[in-house]
Amino acid sequence: MSVDAIFNSFAAAFHYESIAVILGGVLLGYIVGVIPGLNRAVAIAIAIPLTFYMSAYAAIAFLIGLSKGTAAGSAVSAILLNTPGEPSSAATCLDGYPMASAGKPRKALKVGLLASVIGDLLATLLLIAVAIPFASVALKFGPYELAAILIFALVFIAGMAGGSFLKGLAAGGMGVILGTVGLDPETGTMRLAFGYAELMEGVPILPLVIGTLALAEMFVQLDEYRRSKGGSVIKLGKEADDDLSWQEFKGTLPTIFRSTGVGAFVGALPGLGPSVGAFMAYGLAKRTDKDPDSFGKGNPKGIAAAEASDNAVIPASYIPLFGLGIPGSVSAALLVGAFMIHGIQVGPLMLRDHPEMLFTLFSGMIVASVLMLAVGWYGLRLFAKVTSVPSHIVIPVVIFLCLAGIQVQGYGTFGLITVFVFAIFGYFLKKFDYSFVTFLVAFIVTPMLEMNLRQSVILSGGDIAILLDRPIALAFVIFTVLMALHLAWSSYRQWLRKRLAAPKA
Amino acid sequence: MTANPSIQRKNFWSGLGVAAVAVLLLAWVIPTWGGRGFAVGMHPRTLATLGAWVMLGCALLLSLVSAIALLRAREPFAARLDLLGLWHQTWPFLYVLAFIVAIDRLPLTWVAPALIAGLLLILGERRWHVLLLTAAIPTAALYGLTVHLMRIGVV
Repeated sequence: MSVDAIFNSFAAAFHYESIAVILGGVLLGYIVGVIPGLNRAVAIAIAIPLTFYMSAYAAIAFLIGLSKGTAAGSAVSAILLNTPGEPSSAATCLDGYPMASAGKPRKALKVGLLASVIGDLLATLLLIAVAIPFASVALKFGPYELAAILIFALVFIAGMAGGSFLKGLAAGGMGVILGTVGLDPETGTMRLAFGYAELMEGVPILPLVIGTLALAEMFVQLDEYRRSKGGSVIKLGKEADDDLSWQEFKGTLPTIFRSTGVGAFVGALPGLGPSVGAFMAYGLAKRTDKDPDSFGKGNPKGIAAAEASDNAVIPASYIPLFGLGIPGSVSAALLVGAFMIHGIQVGPLMLRDHPEMLFTLFSGMIVASVLMLAVGWYGLRLFAKVTSVPSHIVIPVVIFLCLAGIQVQGYGTFGLITVFVFAIFGYFLKKFDYSFVTFLVAFIVTPMLEMNLRQSVILSGGDIAILLDRPIALAFVIFTVLMALHLAWSSYRQWLRKRLAAPKA
Repeated sequence: MTANPSIQRKNFWSGLGVAAVAVLLLAWVIPTWGGRGFAVGMHPRTLATLGAWVMLGCALLLSLVSAIALLRAREPFAARLDLLGLWHQTWPFLYVLAFIVAIDRLPLTWVAPALIAGLLLILGERRWHVLLLTAAIPTAALYGLTVHLMRIGVV
C-alpha cells in the first residue's frame, strides 16, 4: 500500500463525519461505563443493531469508540461510588475511593482519566506498529499453520480466561458445536438446524450475543438486586486543593508508562482480559514504590497504574485479532461479529483485501483516544451525576433495548425466542462460572477452524506426518499439548494445595 | 479447584448437567441432525462430535474431582433447596417470556411501556414521574427509529 493511500486513510478518519461517529461511540461508552452494572460487552451487544445502517467503517469505529469509552468511564463509578462500572476497574477502587473520600474526588478522576488516555493511546500505537508485520507474516501461513494456531489459541484462552481449565474447555466445546450449525460448506447438508431455515447460515450472531451477554447479565443483576445495597456517591466540590497539578501528574508518569507496558503485554495474550492487567499493574506499582504502605489509602499512583493498564489492554487485545484473526477477548469477538455483519473477514486477510479500511480504523482509534480525553475532561461533572442512576431504572431499559434490537432487525418471533434461549444459556454460564470468553471465541472461530482443518485433511490425505514438513504448525501442535499438560498440572497442584490447607473434618 | 463445599457442589452438579447434555448430543442429536453425505475431507459431523467429546470429558472430570472433594470433606452432595431464592431467579425469565409472547401478537411500541413500567413497579419504584419518563422515553425513541427506518425503506 502506497504512502498516499495511507495518508488518505488517515484523512478519512479525521473527516468530521467520522469524528462525529467516534464521538457518539465514546460518549455512549462513557455513559455506559459510568453506570455500575452495565459493562462493555452489554454495551457492544445492544449497540450492534444500531450499526446495521452505518457503513462498515462507521460501524466498527463507533463500536471501538464505545469500547474505549466504557473502559475510561468505568473509573468514574469506581472512584466516586466504590463500585466499578467494569470488573476491570475494581483495582481503581482500591485507591480511587479513599482519595475521593478524603475530599479529592476531582483529582482522583483526573489522574484516572489521564492515565486511561495515555495507556490507551500508547497501546493503540503499539497495535499499529505490531499488527501489520504480524498480518504480513500470517498471510504466508497455510491451512496447517492456521488450524494449529487456532487450536492453540482456544486451549490458551480456556486456560487463561480465569476459573477452572476444565470448565473453560467444556465451554469451548459448546462454542465449537454451536459454530458448526448451518449449511456444511463442503457437502451442502444442513447441520443441527432441526428443520429451521433461519439456522441455514448458522446461529444468528446478534440474538446469540444479545441473549448471552446483555439479557443474561440483566437476569443476573435482577437476582442480585434484592441483595445489593446502594452505596453513597461522593459529590464533586469546588475545593481549591482538589485539582491536579502538573507536579502531581508528573509523579505518576513513570507508573503510567510501566503499567501501559503491563497492560499491552496482557492484552496481546488472548483470554487474559483487562482485570488481570489492572491488578498486575497495581501490584507491580505497589511493589516498586518507595512507600508501598500508602497504596490502598488514596495514592494517585494506584489509580494511574490500574487505569493505564486497564485501558492499554483493549487496543492490545486487537493485536491477535488484526494480526491473526483470533479474537482474544469478548469485545474483540463482538467486533468480529460486527465485521461479519458487514461482510468483512477480520484478520490478516484485511491487510490484503481492505488495507484502506484497516488504516482508517487505526487512525480512527487514535481519534477515539483523543476524544476520550476531551469527553472525560469536560464531562466530569455530568458523568459524576450519571453514577447515581439507580440499577432498578437501568435494568428494565436494557431489557427493552435487547428485545427492541432483535425486533428492529427483523428477526421476528424466531429471533426473540433465540435471544431468550441464549439468555437462559448465558445465565447458567455466568452462574456456574463457565468461561464465557472461551465459548464466544470458539463459536466465532469455528467456521475458520473447520475450513482450515478440512483443507489440511484434504491436502495431507490424512497423513499426520505431513506436519514434519510444516515446522510452524508442528511447533503450535507441540505448544498446545504442552500448554494443556501444564494447565492440567497447575490445576491439580492448586487443588492439592487447597486440600492440604483445608481443616480436617 | 477450590475447597469451598458450595462451589464444589455447584461444580459437581453443573459437571453432571454438561455431561448429560454431551451424552444426548453424542447419542442422538449429532447422529440425527449433524449432517450426512460423502465428504472428501472431514465429515460434516466431525467437529461437532469432537466438541461434544471435549465437553463430556471435561464435565465428567470436573464432577469426579468435585465429588472426591465433597466426600473427603464429608459434605453432602445436595444442599437444602432455597425455594424463595429459586423464585427470585425464575420470575425475571417468566416476566420476559410473557412479554415476548405479547410482542409476538402486538407491536413492540405498544408493549414496551408496560414492559418497562411493570418491571420498575416490581422493583419498588413508586414515583409516577419516574415511571412515566422511564417508560415513555425509550418507547418514543424506538417509535422514532422505526418511523425513520420505514421512511428510508429498511423496515
